Amino acid sequence: MNSNRSNTILLLPVGIGIVLLALLGLHIGDIPTNGLDVYNAIFTYSDSNLSELIIREIRLPRVCIALIAGAALSIAGMLMQTLFQNPLAGPYVLGINSGASLMVAIGILSGAGFLSTELGLIGAALIGAFVFGLFILFTASFLRSQIGLLLFGVMLGSFVSAIITILELSSEAESLKAFTLWSMGSLNGVTIEQLPVIFLVFILGGVASLFIVNPLNLLVLGEEECRLMGYNVKRLRLMIVFITALFTGLITAFCGPIAFIGLAIPNLTRMLFKTQDHKLLLIANLLFGALFLLSCDILIQLLSAWILIPINALTSLIGAPFVIYILIRKIR
Amino acid sequence: MIEIKNTEIGFDASLFAIPEMDFDQGKVHVLLGKNGIGKSALLNTLSGLIYPIEGSLSFDGKLLSDYSYKHLAKKIAYVRSNVKGVPFLTVDAFLLLGRYHDKNFIGKHSAEDYGLIQKAKDLFGISHLADKFTNELSSGELHLCAIAKAYVQQTDYILLDEPTSHLDYANKRKIYELLGKMASEYNKGIIISTHDLDLAFKFPFDFYLIESQSKTLKSVKTFKEVEREFI
Repeated sequence: MNSNRSNTILLLPVGIGIVLLALLGLHIGDIPTNGLDVYNAIFTYSDSNLSELIIREIRLPRVCIALIAGAALSIAGMLMQTLFQNPLAGPYVLGINSGASLMVAIGILSGAGFLSTELGLIGAALIGAFVFGLFILFTASFLRSQIGLLLFGVMLGSFVSAIITILELSSEAESLKAFTLWSMGSLNGVTIEQLPVIFLVFILGGVASLFIVNPLNLLVLGEEECRLMGYNVKRLRLMIVFITALFTGLITAFCGPIAFIGLAIPNLTRMLFKTQDHKLLLIANLLFGALFLLSCDILIQLLSAWILIPINALTSLIGAPFVIYILIRKIR
Repeated sequence: MIEIKNTEIGFDASLFAIPEMDFDQGKVHVLLGKNGIGKSALLNTLSGLIYPIEGSLSFDGKLLSDYSYKHLAKKIAYVRSNVKGVPFLTVDAFLLLGRYHDKNFIGKHSAEDYGLIQKAKDLFGISHLADKFTNELSSGELHLCAIAKAYVQQTDYILLDEPTSHLDYANKRKIYELLGKMASEYNKGIIISTHDLDLAFKFPFDFYLIESQSKTLKSVKTFKEVEREFI
């Protein structure tokens, strides 16, 4: 237990790193700004000042959504990994993203009705993620092998992308472009007006996660052990799927699919902190996930003069090798 | 006291019958029988994980099915045969999970909880493993920890499914001695299944055989009565 305590100190530099990078993120861009602009943009905003306008309308939402998306996807990944007792689980590999993607595809590509409105898209993404989450939960109840479940998730992803391809072929050029851009993943799409709603949903999921940290500690022993220690696992499993779907659906709706964070960060934090204390893991995933996605975004900005990289491509470029590393370590 | 009457035990279909049997506290009850005869099924039924195919069992005068999960966890601990180690879960953290049924939703551990796990570590001689991760233990060490966790749970009954099957001879002896001690000194009802006939009969335990011919559970006194079943 002492070993945990000494590692907890790691959270401090990560927290400081987030603050520094967030400030950096508010300054990076074509138009130079200074600290005073940032202060004014937040506290005494006037839209006649170009610097303040850019900070408030473009950079601030971008930094905020990077932090929230990174944290949310990492926590979702941690929940999935504990639920399935599988270090290779995550919202993306298990296809929970696919559920959200499918619904968004239907919404954008069909281009009609309530589904294509902003609220409709978010609702559809949440429902898609939740339904697919339940589907995976159901499948996991008889597909016991860890690799089997992952293959199932990959197949689910392939199946959905086939349907999406068919939808794409038969859709209008304009909605096709909108959907293709969305599917690359982007942190640019969020406006400052949308932030409060996103933040509220994120807090809701975060508080819900805090409520289940203790049963999660027990769940690592397996579902029957949980039951033997007097805990009703069915409710817990539903709760986990609900929170995961909430996080994944929310982020997928606003930023498009973002791969591998939900897989890589929970593994990284477990390896760094060497604990199964989910209270610590929750905080660690929140901070490390936020820091990681913000770093990715800043890297993209810095490179943007030479090359444009979609966020989903960058997280995959970093995440996929890391996952292969975990696989090799596990199999050896 | 666990009382069983006219009950059929099995996972999906009935494996064997129990005309009448009581399991008292303060004793070690040893279940014997061939592979697949239903020893684990009986332990699973007693733990409340599965229901009897027919009939019912009562626990302290109340039907087992009337207990809530939480209440049952305070009365009966169950050490399964396939205890699995978990990466990054230390033995200390593992033992503390044995107090889970006693926690409210904040889950803060009290000084008594820590006292209890210290006592369990001393009793089972696993203090030196306290900071080790459970997936890095040998299966014998892991089993000792699992039994220690059952002790930490502070229940009236402890069920153990083949607790000695992974252990060397010295550790087998040690487990049997400890189980005897927990029964006599702490008045716990211990019910175990085992294939270690020779060793088990050296201890003053109560023995039961699930007979393969009649498919019933009956009480046996001597090694001779059991011998026929296994030859």
